[in-house]
Amino acid sequence: MLPAAFSLLADYTEDYAWFPDSASTFSSEVDWLYKVITGIGFVFFVGVIIALFGFALKYRKAKGQKAESQVSHNTPLELAWSVIPSIFLVGMFIFGAKVYLDMRTVPDGSYEVGVQAFKWGWTMDYGRGTFHPELHLLVNEPTKLTMRSSDVIHSLYVPAFRAKKDVVPGRYNYMWFEPTLATEKVSDEDLAAAVKETEESGAEWDYDKYQFTPDGYRFYDLYCAEYCGENHSQMQTVVVVHKTREDLDAWIKKYSSRSDTESLESYGEKLYARRGCSGCHSIDGSPRVGPTWKDAFGSMRALTSGATVKVDENYLRESIIYPKEKIAAGYQPVMPSYKGQLSDDDIDSMIAYMKSLSANAE
Amino acid sequence: MSAGLNIPGATVRDPGFPTERENYLTNSKGVLSWMFTLDHKRIGVMYLIGVTLSFALGGLLAFALRWHLLDPDGTLFTNNIYNQVFTLHGAIMVFLFIIPSIPAALGNFLVPIMLGAKDVAFPRLNLSSFYLWIFGAIFFVMALCASGLDTGWTFYTPYSTTTDTSVIMATLGAFILGFSSIFTGLNFIVTINTMRPPGMTWFRMPLFLWATYATSIIQVLATPVLGITLLLLIAERTMHIGIFDPEYNGDPVTYQHFFWFYSHPAVYIMILPAFGIISEIISVHSHKHIFGYRFIAYSSIAIALLGFLVWGHHMFTAGMSDMTTIIFSALTFTVSVPSAIKVFNWLATMYKGSISLTTPMCYAISFIFLFTIGGLTGLHLGTLATDQHLHDTYFVVAHFHYVMVGGTLVAFLGGLFHWWPKMFGKLYNENGGRISAFLVFLGFNLTFLPQFILGSRGMPRRYATYDPEFATLHTASTHGALILGIGLLVALVVLLMSLVRGKRASANPWGGATLEWNCTSPPPFYNFERPPVVGDPYDFHDIEWDEQNERYVTIEPERKMVPETEPAEAPAHAADKQ
Ligand code: HEM
Ligand SMILES: [Cu+2]
Repeated sequence: MLPAAFSLLADYTEDYAWFPDSASTFSSEVDWLYKVITGIGFVFFVGVIIALFGFALKYRKAKGQKAESQVSHNTPLELAWSVIPSIFLVGMFIFGAKVYLDMRTVPDGSYEVGVQAFKWGWTMDYGRGTFHPELHLLVNEPTKLTMRSSDVIHSLYVPAFRAKKDVVPGRYNYMWFEPTLATEKVSDEDLAAAVKETEESGAEWDYDKYQFTPDGYRFYDLYCAEYCGENHSQMQTVVVVHKTREDLDAWIKKYSSRSDTESLESYGEKLYARRGCSGCHSIDGSPRVGPTWKDAFGSMRALTSGATVKVDENYLRESIIYPKEKIAAGYQPVMPSYKGQLSDDDIDSMIAYMKSLSANAE
Repeated sequence: MSAGLNIPGATVRDPGFPTERENYLTNSKGVLSWMFTLDHKRIGVMYLIGVTLSFALGGLLAFALRWHLLDPDGTLFTNNIYNQVFTLHGAIMVFLFIIPSIPAALGNFLVPIMLGAKDVAFPRLNLSSFYLWIFGAIFFVMALCASGLDTGWTFYTPYSTTTDTSVIMATLGAFILGFSSIFTGLNFIVTINTMRPPGMTWFRMPLFLWATYATSIIQVLATPVLGITLLLLIAERTMHIGIFDPEYNGDPVTYQHFFWFYSHPAVYIMILPAFGIISEIISVHSHKHIFGYRFIAYSSIAIALLGFLVWGHHMFTAGMSDMTTIIFSALTFTVSVPSAIKVFNWLATMYKGSISLTTPMCYAISFIFLFTIGGLTGLHLGTLATDQHLHDTYFVVAHFHYVMVGGTLVAFLGGLFHWWPKMFGKLYNENGGRISAFLVFLGFNLTFLPQFILGSRGMPRRYATYDPEFATLHTASTHGALILGIGLLVALVVLLMSLVRGKRASANPWGGATLEWNCTSPPPFYNFERPPVVGDPYDFHDIEWDEQNERYVTIEPERKMVPETEPAEAPAHAADKQ
């Protein structure tokens, strides 16, 4: 109890903040409204509390003593305390609606990113076949996200932008914002050290621990805010705001497709992390939401239909594009379809990577 | 009866203590006499036990959640279990505790007595709605526990149509519970409409009855919508009829409209009766006429009706059209006016009163404090721009706990302490009661104030794990929950101890003027031995403290009796008749 209270105090004095970073054109308006509402509320609250405790102490009487007054109404007073708060409420409504309309009116010529939400991850579509879970933007550039979901309702939430919108299956929802604060790049030494450490441990990149991306950018958090099942709280990614268009383009290019020198397996491994496969499929044999990839290729697989198939190129390709056709026994048909999202080369890379994980592959 | 107070020219009315035979608790014995009772008071007591057990279960689950959040990556729960536990906690608290608590438990006991009636209009329907509740509750809890449910208490589609947990069982449970709620509401409406004794006009009804009446209207009108929605959900799951699930060309947002069309009014089922209780407590323990009676009465009805128009504010980020969104925001603000004015009315009632800081009064003061915070933070959520940031974060969790726990639960406790001597004929330890009120107040604020900051900083709700920067505030919150839990235990112990060791309660331990204080404590089987005299329920002029017997009594001015002798002369007009 006490330690908690003290560390809370420490928070207040050190890096304590009521709000996350203020990094979009909306965030300052929203914070301003928040403070105004809180301020008005606080004034009323203090009035109520002074009256509440003041009266409770001042008019405290011994048992049986009569009240000083038995007044039962006072029309002017009652009118005043109905009308005055109403005026404040109208103000809040108007300003709230005004800022909201700004949030809904996308400026022409915005930078566009497609968003696909699925259990439990995000895929951002930068066009020309470039997909990546991280959201990369340009500072001071209005950005429109067109969002869809492959399964249940999710909600895209960037606290630093004060922006949130549900991603509803069966329809396209959109949102827009304009980042105002670019995220820094860390020094090459820090990045190299972290990359080395991650490679040695063989684990996935730990965003929370390093507080920068595998490319060395600091970031804002992006959360899923609508409950979507088991790993809802892990359905997070990051937002990187680049300082220059060249920097952003270079980053996009880096992820656009397999370079001529890269092998299929190693690119498949990257896609495994980048396209959200790792959320449901392990590579160490442990079962997750979906079957593991370790020793999968070349093995026999029982299906819920009762049949058995051999896990080969055809079966894998079909499972990636039409995941609900043949369901492995013991699993739910929850995998989203990647139809139209992975190029042939991508799928080949995935299959090559799975082969490399399997002792059964010829 | 009362040998103490002696006021010349007046009679002192004091019902004294009930005898064994006439007291509802003891006039018949045995388990069966309770199980098949048609007495609204016994049914109320049985509901009280039921909702208390439900609350204990929901509370233990809440504490488990908080415990897990101390160290979310630790070993207490996996994500999967966490999701089931918060669903269980929310569903039990909403469907089994907070909706039935005040109307069904306290309402059943008090409505007929405060009205001056012998019982509710349909005693058999009343008993059957209790058994429906028991059956529904057992079924519901079994469904939730046995096969698990992880949808949250809102059952949002398409998650609920695709998850493999037992959605159908759980929704059937909620469906059954809905019937119990409808029956109770119906019973109260008919009782209040038809069973008021002579003299009990609408505007002589205590405000608790107005609140119950308004609540009953919502129960009867809104609950069927929930029932239909849940049936549609079941149909969608089993037959894929294609209303809610986009896979079959349905629209998930339609489900949200249906669901909140019930569940937003349901929020007022939770809070309106609490307003009723607070109006009674504040007035009685300030010994002063309630301020603005008519306004409070009308505003209950206004809230009940406006409550049907604001459901869309749960969907400000769902992607409704911008026009719809803005209209819902405007409507939302209209409900806050009557709620705010009630707070001012309570304060004005305390002004120049004669305030006793009894346990119920402490809870009522705590209610005003907490409910004001809950209400004011609702403004951040009704304002469109700020809601975009705060929606589905811990800010919302804090806000609704301030309203539902800080509001309804605290009012329920206040009401329980207020009417406990009436219900069981025993006085409890006042200091113990006040300590419980203080601990609940302290623990509650420590639990939920940090969550406003968590939400403003961007911590989403329904998260089994969270980023390290949120850890400190979560830790503070869990410590608060511990204190809150201790406070609730103290309250329980104080009340239970009073049954064993408490002093006998007089008919009117607080000096109230509503009818229930006119019968003995505990009340006789038929509530009143003679038809009660109905007057202004908040007129404290003729209630006096009897020092010697330590109780409040009612003073009636001595009526000037007509002399019994024949008139000496026949009246002038009588002469013609002969
Ligand atoms: C007694 C102290 C209580 C504590 C410590 C507590 C704690 C919690 C926690 C930790 C959550 C999960 C928040 C999230 O992740 O979204 C929660 C959710 C909830 N609580 Fe409580 N709670 C308490 C009492 C109550 C009461 C009395 C009610 C009565 C209505 C209630 C109603 C709810 C509801 C409806 C939810 C939402 C469940 C959902 O998201 O599906 N809680 N509570
Ligand atoms: Cu999600």
